[in-house]
Amino acid sequence: MSDALLTTSELEVGYGGRAFLPPLNWQVRRGEIWAVIGPNGGGKTTILRTVLGLNSAVGGRVKPSAGLRIGYVPQRETLDSAVPARVCDVVRSGADRGWSFLRPARLVHDHAALERAMDDTDVRRIRTHSYRALSEGQKQRVLMARALVGDPSLLVLDEPTSAMDLTAEGALFELVRQLVEGRDLSVIVVSHHLGVLARYATHALLVDKDEELLLAGSVDEIAASRECVERFGHVLMAARRESA
Amino acid sequence: MIEKATLFFASWELFREAALSGAIAGFMLGLLGVYVVLRRMVFLSAALSQTAGLGVATAFLLAAWGTPAWIASPTLGAVAASLLTVYLLTRGNDRHVSRDSLLGAAFLLGSAGTIAIGSRIPQELHDVQTLLLGSAVAVSPEGFRLIVVTGIATVIWHAWWWRGFAAVTVDRDDAAVRGLPTRGLAILLLVSIAVAVSVTTRVLGALPAFAFSVIPAVAALRLAPNIPGALTIAAIIGAVGGFGGYFLAYLLDFPVGASQTILCVAMLAVVFAVKR
Repeated sequence: MSDALLTTSELEVGYGGRAFLPPLNWQVRRGEIWAVIGPNGGGKTTILRTVLGLNSAVGGRVKPSAGLRIGYVPQRETLDSAVPARVCDVVRSGADRGWSFLRPARLVHDHAALERAMDDTDVRRIRTHSYRALSEGQKQRVLMARALVGDPSLLVLDEPTSAMDLTAEGALFELVRQLVEGRDLSVIVVSHHLGVLARYATHALLVDKDEELLLAGSVDEIAASRECVERFGHVLMAARRESA
Repeated sequence: MIEKATLFFASWELFREAALSGAIAGFMLGLLGVYVVLRRMVFLSAALSQTAGLGVATAFLLAAWGTPAWIASPTLGAVAASLLTVYLLTRGNDRHVSRDSLLGAAFLLGSAGTIAIGSRIPQELHDVQTLLLGSAVAVSPEGFRLIVVTGIATVIWHAWWWRGFAAVTVDRDDAAVRGLPTRGLAILLLVSIAVAVSVTTRVLGALPAFAFSVIPAVAALRLAPNIPGALTIAAIIGAVGGFGGYFLAYLLDFPVGASQTILCVAMLAVVFAVKR
């Protein structure tokens, strides 16, 4: 189990001290792509935020591996359109960790990481463009580059394709797949788009707070499970077969 | 008009402290205003200036009751009241009470409390207003020193820590995932704004303090390509508004605080006209 990047033990998520899902015992290992799926309002983002430490856990704990670096790609429109920033400014802003913002020389040292992150996400050619003038797909690539500039081993994406058409969505997930291979990354992604998820994910976490359901396993296991079929029919299974 | 302008600079010794106080306060609050505007807290400085007034009024009341001068210091009262406001805002801000509501309550408490306590201060009403909110027309040597020290400390601090303050302002969740001390940074940012607003309110008045902390930032965010650019441009617009407003007030016989505010608004109008 030494390749576990993130482990949760009896993690309870909820609000106001009340858990709305059963305790979660979960491990994310190197090279895995986890899709967090479930109905709207089912608790997917709450789980993600609790695992990231953005929400307080009702109980249990999250144990990251030593030195784990997480890159976070938030939902769209997280960056206020009033914020003035060029693409390179947004990407560079992801370089600071902990108290490193106190070191002015850090900006110079991060230059190579900045270039690599922009190359990997294909945003170098728009580096001087204003972030707020970009298309949704471009914005998401820029946020991806921001997450990568800190050289993370775990990339967490919260509904990254909610504002995209199918083509842009497929391109983004293809980018994620390339990053996993090229950078030895693990990924946790929340999305509604089961067809695309089934093609790229290796594992899935099915979440439904109304039924107090939490189910984790390989995508094939989850796709074949009664709980998944009840909620989504055979969409996941069919997409899986198609991609195979 | 030219004669009057010449006379202004010929008599520079007379106007130096007030004119430079306006420039320094404009520079300092212009810079901080970028965070105020981006965090959508434009009424923060209005609320802080009112609670600072309450702190000053309380200090005068304590002095009238014979409290030692080092405790009943108006500046200490202004800063302490502003910091207490920031503390209550950060403690009381949850999903059930909006920040706007808390700012409104702080503004009203500051206004009503100042009027109530001001009625017990043994000075004329006009003097009380000047004592409470400062006067941009004539700045005392102590007030000038206070503005200079606060301005230099604030600008150095923000030039050093800007990446942290920007991170918690632009995307706090992302900053938290990257391990930045987001809560501490957010509180320290509010503390620096509270101190700058209360000192400016005490020395120059509530109107220029509010204007400097909002208008230059709105203009700068329109012009700048990024946050460091916005911080720099806002500081420069604030400084020009502070100094130029004082100069215009002298030339045209306008009240100083109003003149500084109107000049800032005029620069904002030019920016909006040029960069639609």
